Amino acid sequence: MDGKRQWRLPHRGCPQGGIVASTEMLRRRCHNRVMERLRPRLAVPARPALAVPSRLAAPARLAAGLAGLAAAAGALAVAEGPGRSTTYAGRSAAGAALTLSAGLALIAAGLVICLGPRPRRTGDLALLAGFTWFAPAWAAWQNGPPLIPSVAIVLGGFTFPLTLHLVLAYPASRPSSAPARALIAAAYAEALLAAAVLALFRDPYLDPGCLANCNVNVFLVRSLPSLAHGIGVADRWFTAAAAAGLIAICAARLVAGSRPARRRLLPVAVPAIMFAGTVAARAVALQGATVEDPFNAALFAIFAVASAAIILLAAGLISGFARARAERRAIARIAVNLDEAPAPGSLQSALAEALHDPGLRIAYWLPGARRYVDASGRTTPEPAAKSGGTVTRVTRSGRTIAAISHSGAAPGLDRHIGPAIALGLENERLQAELLAQLGELRASRARIVETADAERRRLERDLHDGAQQRLLALSYDIRLARAGAAADGDTAAQITLAKAMEETGAALEELRELAHGIYPAVLAEAGVAAALATLADTAPLPVQILRADDRRYPAPVEAAAYFAVAEAIDDAARRGADHAAVTVAHDNELLVVTVEDNGTGRDAPMVTLTDRVGALGGSLYLKETACRAEIPCASS
Amino acid sequence: MRVVVADDVMLTREGITRLLTDAGVDVVGQAGDAASLLRAVRMTQPDAAVVDIRMPPTHTDEGLVAAQQIRAEHPDIAVLILSHYIEPQYAMRLLEEHPERVGYLLKERVFDVANLIDALRRLADGETVVDPTIVARLVARKRRAGPLDKLTEREREVLALVAEGLSNRAIATRLFVTERTIEAHVKQVFLKLGLNTDSDSHRRVLAVLAYLRNMT
Repeated sequence: MDGKRQWRLPHRGCPQGGIVASTEMLRRRCHNRVMERLRPRLAVPARPALAVPSRLAAPARLAAGLAGLAAAAGALAVAEGPGRSTTYAGRSAAGAALTLSAGLALIAAGLVICLGPRPRRTGDLALLAGFTWFAPAWAAWQNGPPLIPSVAIVLGGFTFPLTLHLVLAYPASRPSSAPARALIAAAYAEALLAAAVLALFRDPYLDPGCLANCNVNVFLVRSLPSLAHGIGVADRWFTAAAAAGLIAICAARLVAGSRPARRRLLPVAVPAIMFAGTVAARAVALQGATVEDPFNAALFAIFAVASAAIILLAAGLISGFARARAERRAIARIAVNLDEAPAPGSLQSALAEALHDPGLRIAYWLPGARRYVDASGRTTPEPAAKSGGTVTRVTRSGRTIAAISHSGAAPGLDRHIGPAIALGLENERLQAELLAQLGELRASRARIVETADAERRRLERDLHDGAQQRLLALSYDIRLARAGAAADGDTAAQITLAKAMEETGAALEELRELAHGIYPAVLAEAGVAAALATLADTAPLPVQILRADDRRYPAPVEAAAYFAVAEAIDDAARRGADHAAVTVAHDNELLVVTVEDNGTGRDAPMVTLTDRVGALGGSLYLKETACRAEIPCASS
Repeated sequence: MRVVVADDVMLTREGITRLLTDAGVDVVGQAGDAASLLRAVRMTQPDAAVVDIRMPPTHTDEGLVAAQQIRAEHPDIAVLILSHYIEPQYAMRLLEEHPERVGYLLKERVFDVANLIDALRRLADGETVVDPTIVARLVARKRRAGPLDKLTEREREVLALVAEGLSNRAIATRLFVTERTIEAHVKQVFLKLGLNTDSDSHRRVLAVLAYLRNMT
């Protein structure tokens, strides 16, 4: 096909051509404008400076790491000392290995998380839990300063509350549910109370359950053996109950969570449940025993499982950290790709992919219209947190841009979303706004055309039922009058009335043509094919209907197809054509109308036709002597 | 002759009734919509029904539907459709199923009582009536050079009268020639156009109309 006869798109000289033919161009233009404006801001590092308030400064954390190593080494030394038969660590090489591995694993996990780009409370908790894990070993230091074992005994009671807090707050830094918060608070309060009572009133000499350190308690104020014993037992059982609560909450979260949330929770929740199980088992096992004898096989087994659970927990924390880091990187990569104009909705799929959350949805807020739309501008309901999911609102300079509903697996999503992504969201929001307005505009144009057609149809009916009927009645009366005049022999009246009859006949004829031109009744009653056949009967040039689909379509579609052909044929006649060929065919949800003629080349655009077809979301393609209208239709 | 008149506009209905009565035709029933028309036809068993194409409730093609129903139920009762529309489509639809004793006339034509009586008489004789305006429009339709150009003036005249539904005898009377002459003309016309010469006088109306419509 030579270049001169190529379909032209959009229609030359048509002001709405851009809208009718392509939203892509506009969209891209909008993207470019936004990106241009924001490029300077994009140049600043996507990641904010590491001024995030941290609970422990970086050097302190390094020191904590070293202290952790020291605590571990010391614990090992103590365990090998005189009190070796009183602790699990000193009992055997396996006991020592388990004690060391579990404590160091927790400390390592804490350090890894704390030294990451966004230190979180989880890391601090893991560090503290790691330290307290070694406390029972230090408590057995018999020939050291008496302060050390005394403090170690106090600290030993906090391993469980810290672990409980760590697990229930995971993966966010704050526990999400009220029962979890209550349980954490209760566990801390009880541990504090028990530690205080035992520190002040437990005299190791008088404690029948004493094994590891029965020499000193520097904090002792007054020796109350029965109170100390009662508190010890109560503490054990309370801890067992809290462990049961931990198991219940973890299980509930696993059950209720979405699949991505569950995948993220599992590596931490399962070891936590295991650990809580050993806590409860220990309480039961100690009920019958007078002392916690590390050589008791059952107790050692419980300890071994607990240690393994702690090691797994630490591993889970580290893997979760690595995963979050990978997701942050993936999100950062999205920002890099934003420089090219992405198709609407690509940000949603990119985020969903980066967060392994296929259910992630982004809804953009249109402040003017006060509603949410998706990336393609369609109205969507306001995102609501589904079961196990959350909604993250993204704001820029105080304005809501978008709401992201996701599985809730990625805690602090809003913090993951750096300025670059927020920019991408803002850009996509502007695009969505544009598309929404475009959709409204199109709907409004379609309504205008539809209303106009309905008006034409009504006019045609009014003419038919009103003026045409009256003229008919008039011509009847004139006929009667003429018959009367003929009977009376009044020749002059007869001639006048004959003339009047002719005039009424002509008026009827003109009225009929007018009514047909306004809206052919046959179009509404029999469809496009029938109406086009009549059009061909009266066309000023031979018109061949090569193909006409008999199917019925919605009235606006039929009207558009009919008037497209009518206008194209008029145009062909104007350009001196002596033949035109018409096809009307249904093709894949489109009604395709073509008119080809053999006149001279087209020199003017068919603007009204472009408008009419465009109003239905269709396209008009024009060549020199051919025209093709594609009208979206749902066959009815 | 006994006739039922159906038109939802009372003025027109009364007018037609009066014209027919004056001309000595017995109007045995009047109806304002398709349902009462069918009732009147069943009750009075007239020779013909004069029916407006547009009647309640939808004012679209109720008349056509009723006409087809009357023709299907009562093969002896003729139906004359009156319409404002010069739509070959409607006329042909009427002819498709029951090509005899059906007619399609423009409304203004029936106020010339001679036309109306003539149409009714032809229908009663078993002929078909297609409004001359429709036929004239189809004959005058813009075409490229084709078989129609090969017809003589007289042959074109005969073709138009065939399309209007006239029998050979009626055409002969109209043109003041013998029936044999018309038979020869018709044969010649059909040969030139490549139409089936065996068509009986009812079927040939539709064949000619379709030919005129599709030949471009």
